[in-house]
Amino acid sequence: MAGFVDFEITWRASVFAGAPQSSSAEKFGTQGINFQARKAASEAEWDAALAALGCETPPPG
Amino acid sequence: MAEPARPAAPIDLDVDALRAAIRKEYETVALDPGRGFHFHTGRTLAAIVGYEEGWLEGIPESSIESFAGTGNPFSLGVIAPGERVVDVGSGGGIDSLIAARMVGPEGCVVGVDMTPAMLERARRAAAESGIENVEFRKGLMEALPVEDGWADVVISNGVLNLTPDKGRALGEMHRVLRTGGRVQIGDILVEREVSEASKRNIDLWTG
Repeated sequence: MAGFVDFEITWRASVFAGAPQSSSAEKFGTQGINFQARKAASEAEWDAALAALGCETPPPG
Repeated sequence: MAEPARPAAPIDLDVDALRAAIRKEYETVALDPGRGFHFHTGRTLAAIVGYEEGWLEGIPESSIESFAGTGNPFSLGVIAPGERVVDVGSGGGIDSLIAARMVGPEGCVVGVDMTPAMLERARRAAAESGIENVEFRKGLMEALPVEDGWADVVISNGVLNLTPDKGRALGEMHRVLRTGGRVQIGDILVEREVSEASKRNIDLWTG
């Protein structure tokens, strides 16, 4: 099954600082992010994206 | 609404209890948005994450004040006229209503949320604003009430972090997208390791 390609985190920032109540955000270094990705247009594109990864991927299922 | 069978969550966690805690938290956001939370809300939050003032024009204050996202899906790319959008975890409706204006009368938006009070707030806001190309459905991110391949874009804002089975939620986003469709998502990441004990602490998921 094909998956997502062209994944990118485009922005990150501290979005919890100064909130009215305290939280665990600072303890874990929690940041807000924006990310995008695209559903692969074909199995071939997905296979090529997997092959281009520089890390191991878990087995399917 | 039939809830899906409990997912094979990678974390040893009572998923039903987690969902109940999240519903309770966001019910409070819907019913009492001004009380102050451990996260920013409303126009303050919109400014922090970079929402353009023009996007908020014509959006009912009831949607804006219950905004509780963590990012800005609209900064990731143009949502074009005629597109179909699914908003996963639509809350009080702000992102769905913004998207509905962007796609125009030839497009449409389906917002999905599991919290009844938020759905009610979103539906009232849609009616108040006269925005007709948006629909809000009750559902879970792990079992979206949307047909296969329906959407051009899936947006979500501060929601994916609330499921212990992100693989299943992302799989659902993938399922409802047409081939070549895209996700534009606001969420969170953590920079420090979270212990297994912390992962099982429901209070840390909601605060």
